[in-house]
Amino acid sequence: MTFVYLLVFGFAATAILGLITSWIDRKVTARVQYRVGPPFLQPVYDIVKLLGKETVIPAGASKVTFLIAPVIGISGVIAVATLFWVNQFFSEGFMGDWIVAIYLLAIPSLSIILGGFASRNPLASLGASREMKLVIAYELPFILAALVPVINSHSIRLSVIIDSQAGGVFAGNISGILALIVAILCVQAKLALVPFDIPEAETEIVEGPIVEYSGPGLAIFKLMKNMLFFTLPFFLIILFFGGLRFNGINILWTILEYVGIVAIITVIRNTNPRVRIDQAVRFFWGPMTLIAIVAVILASKGL
Amino acid sequence: MSFNLIIDALKNPNGFFASNPLSLLCAAFASLFFVLIVIYSLKHMKGRKGVWRYYIYTIATYASTLGVLFAASFLILLIFWGLLGLLLYLMIAFGRKEGTPAAARKALIIVGATDVLLLFGIVLIWKITAGSSGFQGLLTMPITRSGIPLAGTASIIAYLCFASAAFAKAGAMPFHTWVPDTAENAPTPVTAFLPASLDKLLGIYLLARVTLDVFQMTPTMNTVLMAIGSITIVAAVMMALIQHDLKRLLGYHAVSQVGYMVLGIGTGNPIGIAGGLFHMFNHSIYKSCLFLAGGAAERKAGTGNLAKMGGLVKAIPLVFVTFLIASLAISGVPPMNGFASKWLVYQGVITSGDSLWVLWLIAAMLGSALTLASFMKLIHAVFLGQPSEGVKKILAEKKGKRTGLSTAIPLVVLSTLCVGIGIFAWKIPFAQLFRPEIRGTIDSPGIWQSGTATLMLIAGLVIGYLIYLAGTLKKARVVAPFVGGETLEENPDMRVSGVNFYKTIMELGLLKSIYRWAEKKLFDLYVVAGKFVAGIGIIFSFMHNGILSRYFLWFIIGLVVLCIVLI
Repeated sequence: MTFVYLLVFGFAATAILGLITSWIDRKVTARVQYRVGPPFLQPVYDIVKLLGKETVIPAGASKVTFLIAPVIGISGVIAVATLFWVNQFFSEGFMGDWIVAIYLLAIPSLSIILGGFASRNPLASLGASREMKLVIAYELPFILAALVPVINSHSIRLSVIIDSQAGGVFAGNISGILALIVAILCVQAKLALVPFDIPEAETEIVEGPIVEYSGPGLAIFKLMKNMLFFTLPFFLIILFFGGLRFNGINILWTILEYVGIVAIITVIRNTNPRVRIDQAVRFFWGPMTLIAIVAVILASKGL
Repeated sequence: MSFNLIIDALKNPNGFFASNPLSLLCAAFASLFFVLIVIYSLKHMKGRKGVWRYYIYTIATYASTLGVLFAASFLILLIFWGLLGLLLYLMIAFGRKEGTPAAARKALIIVGATDVLLLFGIVLIWKITAGSSGFQGLLTMPITRSGIPLAGTASIIAYLCFASAAFAKAGAMPFHTWVPDTAENAPTPVTAFLPASLDKLLGIYLLARVTLDVFQMTPTMNTVLMAIGSITIVAAVMMALIQHDLKRLLGYHAVSQVGYMVLGIGTGNPIGIAGGLFHMFNHSIYKSCLFLAGGAAERKAGTGNLAKMGGLVKAIPLVFVTFLIASLAISGVPPMNGFASKWLVYQGVITSGDSLWVLWLIAAMLGSALTLASFMKLIHAVFLGQPSEGVKKILAEKKGKRTGLSTAIPLVVLSTLCVGIGIFAWKIPFAQLFRPEIRGTIDSPGIWQSGTATLMLIAGLVIGYLIYLAGTLKKARVVAPFVGGETLEENPDMRVSGVNFYKTIMELGLLKSIYRWAEKKLFDLYVVAGKFVAGIGIIFSFMHNGILSRYFLWFIIGLVVLCIVLI
């Protein structure tokens, strides 16, 4: 029974917060571009509208793979979000640790790639291959940056990482700040937002891997992306800000941290042009990895 | 009557054979693979000339494997070990009409050369432990828990000799180069049987026995092992990214995965060693599944060239599903079995206390992402994506989607094991089975409740399905893919095969030159050694060119040198 509660909470809370985050993102983007922006419930309307649209399957494609890919993705997000929520609330730890989190976070990208491959569309193939290259590009600095809290807290259990920041958050150290910068940029790429929206690149390969998706399939992909938009900042808050805190004034801090991370991501996405895939790989394997290595060295020195 | 004879032999009066939990488990897996490979071969090898010889080789290989696993003395081990090298040569060369393929020769030379090192290592151990017991002592020297400290030069050299033999068998760097060549040229069941499963079991079994029992490891040697493991993981998977041949690509992965096992054993703590050994079993399951499924796809398409495949999922859906499961397992996607063992290895690395642990951890985790990348390329190029002209003809023939039983049974069994072992990793105390070998209890610093996580993923699948039900799935319409207004079928040039997916990465700064060197085979010990020997030969052929004046010159020079030395 506990399991059902966990699941409902993990899914429902993440979906609602994800949709809100997506609304914040769109509203800020609109304001940056001198537009009014959508109403608060617009992300929900979008999902509901898509559910009513027709399902179109590309001819000659593998139907089952094509239709199951979004489902795999959303199940990965639900699992990883529940993992974070549970470790947030139960200090003895549950289900998985830091390594599990990193691996589960790869499942959404995997699902987009599989869906793109199954579309039998050259544009989708190109987009999916770019997504894969982007994954191997950001994974290196992301793992390094995410290692900093592990080194600081001497544990790979997420609940221990949260508890050990009760005295002071890791974002307060110099190593933590460096790692946080790298991690935010990696999250930008994980969400495939500008300047790293290379896999989708509407203007050249028309949404890449999801070009063939419509109706419920697209709705699931959109919902998955919205949920990721909450889950990834949540992961950063667990790693660098000691998780969500609900006691007294800390509520305000938690909200500020969360909105702050989302705002940074949104501002970056609104002020940069799209880069090419080789530039992205160079960027992540070059400067980002260097900064992350410096952060790891500083962290192992106790700074 | 004969049954009693077997019982008597198994009672083992002369003490030639002995068993321990690890060797029993290895033997169980070897038997499983033997049965599955024979089933697969029934169809795959049908109609080849002299196929009875192939089955004799297979049975002999299986018997020799058991011989190595249960050998009680070093000499018995060496005999069966050498026999396996010879059988490998015969099996790679099987079915060739014109002479022996270069791959078989290469495998024989690399494995044979390290057999000599193995013999040398055994002699050194004999010298260290019982130098005075005479030649008789060498013949009956048992493999025991002697715990020779790696203090002197002799013991270090002896250990390195054993490690080289193990690395060559398992295919770890720098003795790996025979594996991709074999994978490309040998018949599929041979590759799935030897380099993918049995040779891994044997090589890592020897490494584990030698590392844990015969010698006592030092932190330096552990670091060396971990470095070899990490380099093997990353370098081999980088080579796999750019391959054009289905089985050659898989061959590079057979090398890369050994890195995790060596890394795990090199951590020197119980959890890492358990992870390394667990990975050995998991690897042999999913890698043989991948080779067998790849072989079935190759048979269907009539070629192993990735550029000429694609879209095969419509012809062989079952093979695709098993291939997908196995490739998720090898990439370590939870909750497959590959993740369970990699997770143990990572924890071993984190708790190893080695000063460079971050480097080894990053190499291993990045290696996992790169593995996923190269398998995505493979899945696109072989099964999904747009079909090539050749595959379109196969699809048009409509021979039916049925996969033959002799192909289906091994694939289904192996892919079920991939999922099952992964989900029940916490229920099956695999590590407990060979715990005496690890010495010490496994206390994990992390958490992985594979059962709960699997339930969570299944629940996620159900939620996704419910969303579909809420939508318009029933009224789905099939429409031609949208390619910017063009028609895909009329423009075959628009096909993306996937072979060049990672060309961008290949042309990146330093990587570009490394890849160029690799293509010139500068990292191939076999080729480099061959060139070295040929280089020495050039000196001699320069001296002995048959021209009288040249010989006269040597004569004068020799005389002068002689005079100077004497006077």
